[in-house]
Amino acid sequence: MSNPRGTDGSLLASLPWTLAALTISLVPHVPFLPIWITAAFLGCAGWRYIIERRRRTLPSRWLRAGLALACFLGVLATYSSISGVGPGSALLAVMAALKLLETRKRRDQFVLLFLSIFLVMSSLLREQYLWSVPYMALSLLVIMTAWLRMSAGESQSARQSFTTGGRLLLYAVPLAIVMWVFFPRISSPFWAVPIDTSQASSGLSDTMSPGDITSLSMSNEVAFRVAFEGEIPAPRDRYWRGLVLTRFNGRTWSGREPSISRSALDQIEVAGEPVNYEITLEPTRQQWVFALDMPTSWSLRRTFMGPQQQLARMTPIDQRIAYRVTSHTEFSVGTEMSELYRNWYSDLPDDSNPRTEELAREMRAAAGNDRDFVDAVLKKLNREEFYYTLEPPPLGRDPVDRFLFETRRGFCEHYASAFSVMMRSVGIPARVVLGYQGGEINPMGGHLIVRQSDAHAWTEVWLDGLGWRRIDPTAAVAPERIDIGASDAAFDGVGQSWGLTAPSRLVHQLKLTWDAMNAKWNEWILGYGPETQNSFMKWLGMDDPSWRKMMLTLVGLVIGLILLISLLLMLRYRPPQKDEAARLYRRFVRKTGLTPRTGETAHAFAQRVLKSHAAPGKAVGEITSAYMDARYGHGGEIAHDRLRVAVGSMR
Amino acid sequence: MQRSTTLENVPTDRNAQHAVIDQARKSLGRIILGKDDQISLALACLLARGHLLIEDLPGLGKTMLAQALARVLGLSYRRIQFTSDLLPADIIGVSVFRQESGEFEFQPGPVFSQLILADEVNRATPKAQSALLEAMEEQQVSVDGNTRDLPSPFFVVATQNPGDQIGTFPLPESQLDRFLMRVEIGYPSEESERELIAGEDRRAMLKDIEPVTGPETLVLLQQAVRSIPVTDALVSYIQALVRHTRESAEIEIGLSPRGAQALVAAARAYAFVAKHSGVYPDDVQAVFAAIAGHRLKPAGSTRFRSPAELCQHVLDSVAIP
Repeated sequence: MSNPRGTDGSLLASLPWTLAALTISLVPHVPFLPIWITAAFLGCAGWRYIIERRRRTLPSRWLRAGLALACFLGVLATYSSISGVGPGSALLAVMAALKLLETRKRRDQFVLLFLSIFLVMSSLLREQYLWSVPYMALSLLVIMTAWLRMSAGESQSARQSFTTGGRLLLYAVPLAIVMWVFFPRISSPFWAVPIDTSQASSGLSDTMSPGDITSLSMSNEVAFRVAFEGEIPAPRDRYWRGLVLTRFNGRTWSGREPSISRSALDQIEVAGEPVNYEITLEPTRQQWVFALDMPTSWSLRRTFMGPQQQLARMTPIDQRIAYRVTSHTEFSVGTEMSELYRNWYSDLPDDSNPRTEELAREMRAAAGNDRDFVDAVLKKLNREEFYYTLEPPPLGRDPVDRFLFETRRGFCEHYASAFSVMMRSVGIPARVVLGYQGGEINPMGGHLIVRQSDAHAWTEVWLDGLGWRRIDPTAAVAPERIDIGASDAAFDGVGQSWGLTAPSRLVHQLKLTWDAMNAKWNEWILGYGPETQNSFMKWLGMDDPSWRKMMLTLVGLVIGLILLISLLLMLRYRPPQKDEAARLYRRFVRKTGLTPRTGETAHAFAQRVLKSHAAPGKAVGEITSAYMDARYGHGGEIAHDRLRVAVGSMR
Repeated sequence: MQRSTTLENVPTDRNAQHAVIDQARKSLGRIILGKDDQISLALACLLARGHLLIEDLPGLGKTMLAQALARVLGLSYRRIQFTSDLLPADIIGVSVFRQESGEFEFQPGPVFSQLILADEVNRATPKAQSALLEAMEEQQVSVDGNTRDLPSPFFVVATQNPGDQIGTFPLPESQLDRFLMRVEIGYPSEESERELIAGEDRRAMLKDIEPVTGPETLVLLQQAVRSIPVTDALVSYIQALVRHTRESAEIEIGLSPRGAQALVAAARAYAFVAKHSGVYPDDVQAVFAAIAGHRLKPAGSTRFRSPAELCQHVLDSVAIP
């Protein structure tokens, strides 16, 4: 009796493909999985292969059960949970690895390939980047090939399986597209995936201490992309308002929790032409919504303006969102202010940064009025030896004092903080605005990319009769930061003085192209939600699209497509020409230079050819057998292919 | 002496079926030395559900081949020695009156076996001959108004000494047609003959040989043979051959449509024995002499001394399409 756990090497041909399929579908998970799971997978794969190779027996039931339990507990210990994307995919990966150890038959291999398809799919729960698509296509191709290898006859080469697999996938593409377009999108997906909140995302924080933004300025990650309807405003007007910080504790500026203010919008008085644009914001896990200073209307639902004209949504932004905004770059805000607010906006903690306060009072006395004082401070920052650098020295207690009088090197947050403190020292209301400044125009997509490195802090001071005015002290120190923008500065050599490294032009160009593709990807593919689908359906001529109509269309189209593809395949199918084998064989005969006698069979002729050494024996054998199979046997297309290849490769 | 059929492991996949055939060929080859072609032809004849006529001089192993076939294929076997006084009842059987029961009881004759060796069939009278030939044709016999089926598979191997010997009744052409193949055994090669002389007694060897299969498998193999594809190209070849036999000046009567059918059936079986993926022209050529040799009537003026030469001439003059 054969050993129920024994292997006979019969899977040796298809097993490597199955392993490859599993591996390629596991790769996207690897960065997120604990290292022991990847190691366990590789170990099991290697083990299984060696078992097949050496025709050993598979591990016993008890060993397998023990391993499964150990792995389960391992996952539980690592994640302290078994639900969610992380533990779920970890379990899937580890169980696929263990399944290998009981894979003896073709049926088990089927299960493994199903598992790899599931792994491929589950990687989408984590991230849906543009590159995921070609990678998934590749994974599916390998899986299909593995599938075909399992049932391939000896005469079928791996390459043939590969092309067949590719062809099968190609047939599926139109079906996939139709399903993707027409499958009804539901506004709040009931299959919502629990979002992995443990993953840190870079972005502005709710507070600002010296050094906070510096860490961002090194990040090339995209914060948001903007598509303008008309002309893109000049760099100096591209202040992207985020959150507003109003309280200072001597070191850290902080704001308030997002709150709604009914009067905030009314305080804005605008002039000039409005700017219309659409922002695609990457997830921030925060509520702040960014818009060009100063937004006056926005399309995002459940989004409100706070008392300091900051926009916030009621729920954190966990997914990429797109919204339309109208802004005015010429505006004034809040010309009236009560005494209470004046005091509140100029509040400073006692006995912190005393030298700064003293300096401010001196300068205020010298200036005569508030406006001249503001100019004087800006002039001081501009004329004296202040440097703009991304690598400022650390500041200890009384950071503003130390910065203004000792280090004099800093980044936007230092200047904004110091400037605001000076203003507040003399009773001028001042607040710090956090957001982004500038952004890079991507010529490929015509949109503006705002990166984390464009994060910026500036101040707003309230001047009698003028209301809140945006004052950017950084502009006084390093005007090029504002005029050129952080991204472009990197190329102009200016950035080097700040501590940026110059990227290569070509690499940058490629990055821009990639970014443009990503923007389109986000806009068209990932952004294809209920609203977009609805309007697309209307554009297609479906009035009043409902899920029922879409489902019916979907089913109809799928059936239609399947019929169409089958029909095309039937029309395309050319049975090998009646005498194609004979034609190919005649070519072989010509190449040998001999003439078959009347009534001489191909085998007899082959013997004669071999005797005369007119052609290599291997080729003659292959051609004769393929010819016989094609012309007289079950052969069909495979035999014709064999014959074609064999005759073609003869000298 | 119907041998009880042992529980057979009936092979259903093609490789296992080929393995059975290979084993049978090997076993037969150990007894009938140096006659691989004839062995393959005999097996093909059996697989094509045809009957075999072995024609040659006495002592060349005709009987041995028939016995070996029965033994190796695990078939029940009877030998009927044809003599001039053989009566049809000696072949078919008789009804005997039983005193005890007061009824007639049929005593089956030797024809109720799976493999029958009709030895020296041309020594019997035409009456006895036709009794056997009818049984071969109908696969059943009628006695006293009752029709009785013959066993399945049913395979007749008849031997015949060439007709130029004294005291024989050669089978007429129309009767010869009942045999799918006619095979000549011929003298053994020098090498084989040495072994025959010096080696073990073949008869004793025959007793020791183990059957490689049984009737059920044989029926299955016969069915499998019919699934071997015959392509258009091959049909054209067979048509060309048949047409040539009808048009050639060397031949008076060519192959009939039944002869053409026999050619296809035999070529199919031969392709199966040769493990080909379909019926190749080689298979047609291999069986051609055995099929056509006794069906063609050479013209009086023919320059060919034997049917085999004539058949080879036909093969050499028809191009394979």
